[in-house]
Amino acid sequence: MEAKRRFISATYRQCFLAALLFHSAIAIAAPPEDAATLVKRAIDYWRDSSSYSVIDMTIRRPDWERTMTIRVWTRGQKESLVRVTAPPKDAGNATLLLDNEMWSFTPKINRVIKIPSSMMNQSWMGSDFSNNDLAKADELIEQYTHKLLGQESHDGHTVYVIESVPKEAAPVVWGHEVVKIRDDWVILEHAFYDQQDVLVKKLVTSEIRSMGGKPVVARERMQRVDRPGEWTEVVTQEVRFGIPIAAGTFTLSNLRNPRE
Amino acid sequence: MRSEWRAPLLLTLAWRNLWRHTRRTLMILFAFALGVWSMIVIAAITRGSMEQQLDKSILNLTGHIQIHLAAFRDDPVIEHRFLPPPALSAALAGADVMTWVPRVRVPAVIASERESAGVTLVGIEPERERGLSFIPGAVTEGRYLEAPDDPGMLLGRKLAERLETGLGRRVVLMSQDVNNRVADRGFRVVGVFDTQPRQMEEAYVFIGRATAQQMLKLDDNITEVALMTTDRDHLEELLARLLVAVPALDVQPWTVLEPLLVLTRKITDVVLIIWYAIVFAAMSFGLINTLLMAVFERTREFGLFQSLGMRPAHILGQVLVESLILLALALAAGNLLAAATVYALRDGIDLTSVAEGMELVGVAPIIYPAWSAGDLAAANLLVFVLGLAASLYPAWRAARHVPVEAITRV
Repeated sequence: MEAKRRFISATYRQCFLAALLFHSAIAIAAPPEDAATLVKRAIDYWRDSSSYSVIDMTIRRPDWERTMTIRVWTRGQKESLVRVTAPPKDAGNATLLLDNEMWSFTPKINRVIKIPSSMMNQSWMGSDFSNNDLAKADELIEQYTHKLLGQESHDGHTVYVIESVPKEAAPVVWGHEVVKIRDDWVILEHAFYDQQDVLVKKLVTSEIRSMGGKPVVARERMQRVDRPGEWTEVVTQEVRFGIPIAAGTFTLSNLRNPRE
Repeated sequence: MRSEWRAPLLLTLAWRNLWRHTRRTLMILFAFALGVWSMIVIAAITRGSMEQQLDKSILNLTGHIQIHLAAFRDDPVIEHRFLPPPALSAALAGADVMTWVPRVRVPAVIASERESAGVTLVGIEPERERGLSFIPGAVTEGRYLEAPDDPGMLLGRKLAERLETGLGRRVVLMSQDVNNRVADRGFRVVGVFDTQPRQMEEAYVFIGRATAQQMLKLDDNITEVALMTTDRDHLEELLARLLVAVPALDVQPWTVLEPLLVLTRKITDVVLIIWYAIVFAAMSFGLINTLLMAVFERTREFGLFQSLGMRPAHILGQVLVESLILLALALAAGNLLAAATVYALRDGIDLTSVAEGMELVGVAPIIYPAWSAGDLAAANLLVFVLGLAASLYPAWRAARHVPVEAITRV
């Protein structure tokens, strides 16, 4: 009896807490001045507590185009594992990200290589994403100051246009970035400007679908402004959020010897 | 007493004989003066260019002596850092050390919005680098670093162009911290520097020493101490003192750090000697020829001298004194001419029109001739001694005539 009462009380408390959280979420959404909070919510929404997704990445160049199928595991904001499953030529290539550090595994040479700082600016697997784009995706929260530029509407949603300026000592080369966040926390656009306010590259969402229980970006494209015929498109085939992830997933040993 | 009037007699005879043929004497004098002039001027230019190269290399972050951890010179990475021991600063407090600086020098990558490049990151103490390296005087745009914890960065002009960035813009430096993790930080370019050779502009970026230590989690560790002494050619005593003070560290003079410079110096010496030899060989033929001619046309005269009782040694002396006067006059004229030339070129020989090619071989576009007492003495002594030696043959020919034959010769 006593145990049951305690359980009920605990459940009530949880409900109350959830309601409070929900409320505070509304409260944050309502006065949208706090751009930093908007960005944090969007990143939290995108990363969730953990996730597993299957992605097709298409790289387009003037003379060729190729598509890779990739599986991605994430936990929190600091741990990610990326594994290529197709085409057979690239299958098995994997990348492990722990905080700002990055390791890559190539089955052909059966070696784990730590990506040195000198290579962090280079392209990741030949795409228009750099190693830094992957490793530092969550830095938007800590290393920038954010300002709400305005609001737009998209499919009946409000879209916040936020300008993010890197802090003085932030390891970011961009002059500023403009992020468009829909009020359900889906990121619609992420534009990178150089320090003379010239647009350098842009990540644009072209399709939003409900997957893994919430609307997420299903198709997005990264393109450099100065290379019109070249882009990288990422299509999410499948995604699950908040799933339990095996303890040893984000380790160098798992990077080399897949156990999932 | 006798020798007192004899020497002036020989001198008078020699002097008068010389000016019997004014044109011939002036011609050989001119040839000799030209030779001496070319020896000295070419030595001054070569020496000047070499010394400049040496000074430049020493200012290009070399210094007179560098102190590292033993493994650093083979593998200049952050693992080979050290905490400067108190004994080191005590040993460096001597009067023979003009100035010394601690530095952090590690490989890094610099990135702008569009490009990235591999560079050597140098953390410096801005004020103390004055007189020790080129960087305090090389900033041509913006400002120099103000303190060891200055948050700004100095970027070379060529690198700034390559990265498509410039003064006032931010760039990102990436390297490895002491824990082997990625260390990266944004820096604003507060100054752009120009230097020769221009490869230096691409090879190095400068930030404050404390900023570098913080970025790389070095605490008070450094990777290098460089120092300037009062005399770069006599470092033995200081080296010995430093070896005793910090036996665990690798103390090396510039001659070891830049062996190419020492080699260049040696090659310069050899090349100059070869040049001297060639010029002198050409001159000596002229000298011997002139003296032989003079001796030949005076055969009867020498015969008469001998008949009147002059000893062959004095005839030999007479010709030698003639040669001596000739050499002394030529040397004086050559040295004067050379001095005037070097003085006229004191503002440097401007070779900027071919600067690019010169830079390839490490020579600065403006050469400042430099006197060297050694080169000057070598040229003068060589001409004087070998000139006298060369005139021994004509003198000996003059002295060994048989008087009767000489007098009767038509």
